[in-house]
Amino acid sequence: MGKGGSDGIPISLEELKKLQEIAERARKNVIKMQFYDQSIHVGSSLSSIEILTTLLFRYVRESKNPTDKDWLILSKGHAAPALYAVLHEKGLIPEEELWKIQGINGLLQGHPEVYIPGIDMSTGSLGQGLSFGIGVATGIKMSNGSGRVFVIMGDGEQDEGEIWEAMTHAVARKVDNLIAFIEINGFQLDASTQDVKPKEFLHDVWKAVGWETFLCDGHDISSIVNSVEEAMKAKKPAVIFAKTLRGKGFTPIENSKKQRASPDVTRKFLFNS
Amino acid sequence: MLQGSFSSIREAFGRTLVKLGEEDSDIIVITADVGDSTRASYFKEKFPERYFNVGISEQDMVNFAAGLSATGKKPAVVDFAMFTMRAWEQIRNSISRMNLNVKILVTHSGYSDSGDGSSHQSLEDIALMRTLPNMRVIVPADPADVIRGLPVIMKERGPIYYRMGREYSPPITNGLDYKFEIGKAYVLKDGDDLTIMGAGVVLWDALKAAEQLEKMGISTAVINLETIKPIDESTIEYYARKTGRIVTIEEHSIYGGIGSAVSEVVVKKYPVPMRFVGATTFGRSARSERELLDYYNITDKSIVNSALELIK
Repeated sequence: MGKGGSDGIPISLEELKKLQEIAERARKNVIKMQFYDQSIHVGSSLSSIEILTTLLFRYVRESKNPTDKDWLILSKGHAAPALYAVLHEKGLIPEEELWKIQGINGLLQGHPEVYIPGIDMSTGSLGQGLSFGIGVATGIKMSNGSGRVFVIMGDGEQDEGEIWEAMTHAVARKVDNLIAFIEINGFQLDASTQDVKPKEFLHDVWKAVGWETFLCDGHDISSIVNSVEEAMKAKKPAVIFAKTLRGKGFTPIENSKKQRASPDVTRKFLFNS
Repeated sequence: MLQGSFSSIREAFGRTLVKLGEEDSDIIVITADVGDSTRASYFKEKFPERYFNVGISEQDMVNFAAGLSATGKKPAVVDFAMFTMRAWEQIRNSISRMNLNVKILVTHSGYSDSGDGSSHQSLEDIALMRTLPNMRVIVPADPADVIRGLPVIMKERGPIYYRMGREYSPPITNGLDYKFEIGKAYVLKDGDDLTIMGAGVVLWDALKAAEQLEKMGISTAVINLETIKPIDESTIEYYARKTGRIVTIEEHSIYGGIGSAVSEVVVKKYPVPMRFVGATTFGRSARSERELLDYYNITDKSIVNSALELIK
């Protein structure tokens, strides 16, 4: 298995610091969002903050031409609050909308919708993003476009049959402009991933069917950068297994099945952090 | 009326799709390992670079097509009606929700996969698809309808579910000279006392029933409701008012299908007595589609009986 980082860190300390600051602001905003809606998926969102920050601020290029732009597909759509918080950092979503999340008159839906600025695919039903990404990547290649496709999935999401259909399909299509992330945070809705269905074989399977596979620390931006740089050199579809922590940085729920904390606990945490 | 010979709707479909591929290089055909059975393979012979067999994976097929459409291509998903239902949630959550330009062109609908039995016979797909926002649902009557309508379907932007059978295709519209328009119903025969409305191959039975009713002195109109959604409300209302009685016929469940769609209009616009001829159970294996239609009483005889109930 390929591992980024062997050639040093391909990112300046200045840029690294900037991305870390963005990620921290986004993290705090996600934690604050639960004051406004107690049902958002905080734990799953905090798991994705650094990956989203790195992709959106360093890699994803915009273009009016759909085959020359880069696509970011949040297949684990329940991490929408993290995506919204990072898109706010990019200036695409106004701050007041963050606090109206899931509100009847708000812009931000519980799961991503394409009518929200910066959203490339409406998601929310697990397992659908990778197939869509293969379609986009194939369309780009057929049009000789320069676009790349990033798909972010969860480890629990790997239970879905459509992922397995898509896994071999990407290899058949030879979509070397597709980079998938699988976050390994060890939890799904009801329990730990291992309690529900075994997951430890996943990277062996993806490699065996023909994907270029990489590992990274999903909260270490330099590690994410290393793996993306390596994945972009791959001549076949690439998947990055990103070790993450559910609820990363929010100690009342970090690395647990809990999706959120009570307002009092959250207030104390924010006050002390 | 009732002239011409039987032919194959999937043959007409396969040949027409190739013709459309010649005219539009953005059309891409995607199938889930049923290219030969659906005749999508004719497209592969002519345009191998624009034809994808994704394997036996309908969910992936639908979202792959959705992704292709997002880049500006015009994907046509070609599959058996039954197995496309397996990806209904993908059709709902990706294609309909994002209102993407994907055409879902299905064959082997209704009882047309006669030998394979109930697992392969789709009697629920119209009901499922017509509930979806943005989705239009169209059921051609015969090969002539496909040759007339498919070019319009493929030029139209947005999602469309286009439902065809397999081999059994009695001539219904081949002698008629009209231009197909989405959302328009076509009068196959006019009448004053009763209207039969339906879509697909069973319109053959509707026309036969109309002939028999005419002999009994009952002037009967027959309407080809080719577009199930958006349905032609004005034609339905006009014939409800004109004839005061409606019988619907469909090669589909009467629960949620064409009869339901017509009755939704009738109760709103001009309530009249109705009867529904169609499926109420799962199917079974048989040597032919015709045997199954007879076995399940989706026939001209059933229409006549329903009509007489309404007339007395």
